[in-house]
Amino acid sequence: MSATARPDGAVKLAGAAVYGEDLDVPGMLWGALVLAPVAHGRRLSVDLSPARALPGVVAIGAADVAGLVDGGTGDPERPPFPSERVSYLQQPVAAVAAPTRSLAREAARAVRISVEPLPVATDLDDLFPEWPREKIEDPARVAAHVHARRGDVDGAFRDSATVVAETYRTASVHQVALEPHACVAEVTDGGWRVRTSTQSPFGAREDTASILGIPEAALVVEGTWVGGGFGGKGAAFLEPYALLLARAAGRPVRLALSYAEEFRLGRTTLPAVVRMETAVNAGEITARRVRLLLDVGTSLPGRDFATGYAIGFLLGPYRAPAFEVEGYAVRTNKPPFGPHRAPFAPQAAFVVESHLAAVARAAGIDPATFKARHLWREGDRTPFGQRVLPFGLASAFESARALAARWRSEAPPGQGVGIGLGFWSTSTGAGGEARVVLSPTELVILQGEREIGSGSVVVGLAQVAARRSGLPVEQVRVEYRDSAGAPFDAGVFGSRTVGALGRAVDAALVSLLARLGERLGSPGPVTLAVLDGEIVAVHGSGRRRVAELLTPAETAAGGLAADGKHYGRSGEIDESVVLDGAFYAFTDFTGAAHVAQVEVDPQTGSVRVLRYAAFHDAGVVVDLPSARAQVEGGVAMGLGAALTEEAIWSDDGRLENAGLVDYRIPTLREVPPIEVHFLEGFPGAGPFGAKGLGEPPIIPVPATIAAAVRDAAGAHVRELPLAPERVARELKFR
Amino acid sequence: MSGGRLRLSVNGRPTELADVPPEERLLDTVRWRLGLKGTKEGCRTGECGACTVLRDGHAVLSCLLLARDADGAAITTIEGVRSDPVGERVRAAFESAGALQCGYCTPGFVMALTGLLREAGRSTPLDELLEDLGGNLCRCTGYSTIVRAARAAREGLP
Repeated sequence: MSATARPDGAVKLAGAAVYGEDLDVPGMLWGALVLAPVAHGRRLSVDLSPARALPGVVAIGAADVAGLVDGGTGDPERPPFPSERVSYLQQPVAAVAAPTRSLAREAARAVRISVEPLPVATDLDDLFPEWPREKIEDPARVAAHVHARRGDVDGAFRDSATVVAETYRTASVHQVALEPHACVAEVTDGGWRVRTSTQSPFGAREDTASILGIPEAALVVEGTWVGGGFGGKGAAFLEPYALLLARAAGRPVRLALSYAEEFRLGRTTLPAVVRMETAVNAGEITARRVRLLLDVGTSLPGRDFATGYAIGFLLGPYRAPAFEVEGYAVRTNKPPFGPHRAPFAPQAAFVVESHLAAVARAAGIDPATFKARHLWREGDRTPFGQRVLPFGLASAFESARALAARWRSEAPPGQGVGIGLGFWSTSTGAGGEARVVLSPTELVILQGEREIGSGSVVVGLAQVAARRSGLPVEQVRVEYRDSAGAPFDAGVFGSRTVGALGRAVDAALVSLLARLGERLGSPGPVTLAVLDGEIVAVHGSGRRRVAELLTPAETAAGGLAADGKHYGRSGEIDESVVLDGAFYAFTDFTGAAHVAQVEVDPQTGSVRVLRYAAFHDAGVVVDLPSARAQVEGGVAMGLGAALTEEAIWSDDGRLENAGLVDYRIPTLREVPPIEVHFLEGFPGAGPFGAKGLGEPPIIPVPATIAAAVRDAAGAHVRELPLAPERVARELKFR
Repeated sequence: MSGGRLRLSVNGRPTELADVPPEERLLDTVRWRLGLKGTKEGCRTGECGACTVLRDGHAVLSCLLLARDADGAAITTIEGVRSDPVGERVRAAFESAGALQCGYCTPGFVMALTGLLREAGRSTPLDELLEDLGGNLCRCTGYSTIVRAARAAREGLP
């Protein structure tokens, strides 16, 4: 295995890795969802009889669900199918299953739906043309309201020499995992079972059980290989429908989305409008004001997670003595808002970075100098009163400035160089458990997460175990168990796998090594090594074969097992600044500074990215090739959000570009060479000081490209993505 | 061909299929009739490249090809790529470059690159080769490692 080869490379390159989309069970039926024909409507009536008349077809709707789940009391706010009201276009209103894929599609088309259309709400500017003077309390329109303030904000704005107010708009972006959502469900006397492509088997179990109203213990979720997640495969989605169909059919049912459905039904980042105001006196920020309208689609009131989180990122990693933030989670006739790799953070970084640069220019100060002066450093307080933990962003920024100066000196006219900063806090507080089993020849990590691609499970967890035990990483194997057999874990999201589940693996190893120490009569540290193909325990100058240290029962059971868990805590915010709603504390502080060199066509406004560099504080890097690969991939995804990716919603609630030709993600020739650098010396809360790296690389990208475009052509674009027409418009009126 | 009968050579093995409906796509034949799930279904509309296989040595999108139109052809999928010397070189280059993450686009990339290198070998300029790979989408890697693998596979050719 070369330095960059991955342990899952061979199985994936043999075509032998089974993804959700590949699941095939003897006797299974093919499922299909029946989708609402309008984005908003009432008096919904669904006639399943034409579908049921087709041979071998099973069809279920709202009326069937209650009877299908014995004594089930599912979440009344989240019925699988609406009974009266449709709230987004192509909302599932019924489901069918048939012996073949084509018959399932035919059956879905045969269902007769009648619904009385209602006015459709899609556009934030139409819904909130002015910032509301009084808090709006309308659960039909507002899912959440958040508001916080510190200091005399109005006074600071009144008394400061420079005040800049701007409005920014950001687009809806999709995850675009290449594998569509897919699962196979089966319901037998033994219980409910679903095999699914998921980032969180336990999350899917909890969510599915809640929707169906069955005990979690009655449901087993088994993950498959995941063909890309990016946040889109976190919670239950198809699983409840597939289980209900399987229950009704008495046979296994496969349910998968078509790629167009993937776009139309997917839960992802929706549009936002942000009003930014900053006051400056004598080169110092005196006050900030941020007002956010975040489209959350049909997210339920009280269940919006995004607004309070997003608004923290709109203040950015900058000191401000006084601030006010207020945000509305605005309900529209779109699918519910869902997580997308660092939800809303790339958009927030674009807004705050572009805005503070404009503020600096208005105050007659070099933007980089202005930002560096206000940037958080370890020990500073965040606006919400949290103490900043080790944080390498200022160092990353210094490195980026030096490189940008060099690139700028080399850039011909028409080209420009920009820097963007981003920060993030990884979800290392979310809990997880793991078991390790040591046999005479290998160390196995038993846990519940499937690899989603980043390498955080198959490489990251193995590297943690290797580091703690002293074994070469090739001697460590990660083994997956379904939710009935695996220790609990929260899921592969929030850049938490190595940071949190890794801590559980580490704790299990520490316990295992301590038990070996007892058996060796060694009070000192014990490590493991390989000698002649066998694992030996090393203590001081002595060593013993592991085979000799196991009891016969342990040998028969496959080895010596030890368990570990990690239920972390995040920091605390100063609640005295909170006026309404929920804001979130950061667990750790992760930062990155990126540099891009671009060329802008002065006529068309089209942007070409020529080279790119990323400086990351990832704490202690546990696997350099994987870390590098995360940054390369995250930057490429960010380039899409910066330049081309925009889900376009029509006034009647239709997603107009539900395909890969019209919704354009970066192709091979559009991603430039990417330099990747890691800064040492800023340890995080993960094992050995690791910080999460799944999400941070995407965050600074749109900000970086926007800065480079301004440097190249003078265009200060306040809207994402930086599509040619938006850049050209700024060039024209500059 | 009559009565929906179809003759293919799949990964070197002669294969006869009956009752293949006229609308069946080669992608579904390979995945669901033959059980070769290494060929991936992504967009199903010819936009992502995940379903790429070789037909008589040339890369094709199996989602856009009617199975009956492949009658008589030799089909190579990721499961059979190792028996082709160019294919094995490409596969090995992807493995040693770590040119994959989730792995869903990977079989399509391997087949596309194998097809391109079989057509012109080392004489294809790298730039052209990369241009031609533009029809295969990857969301995980940012393509850097895939470019490294493509370069290594091309340079390793005789």
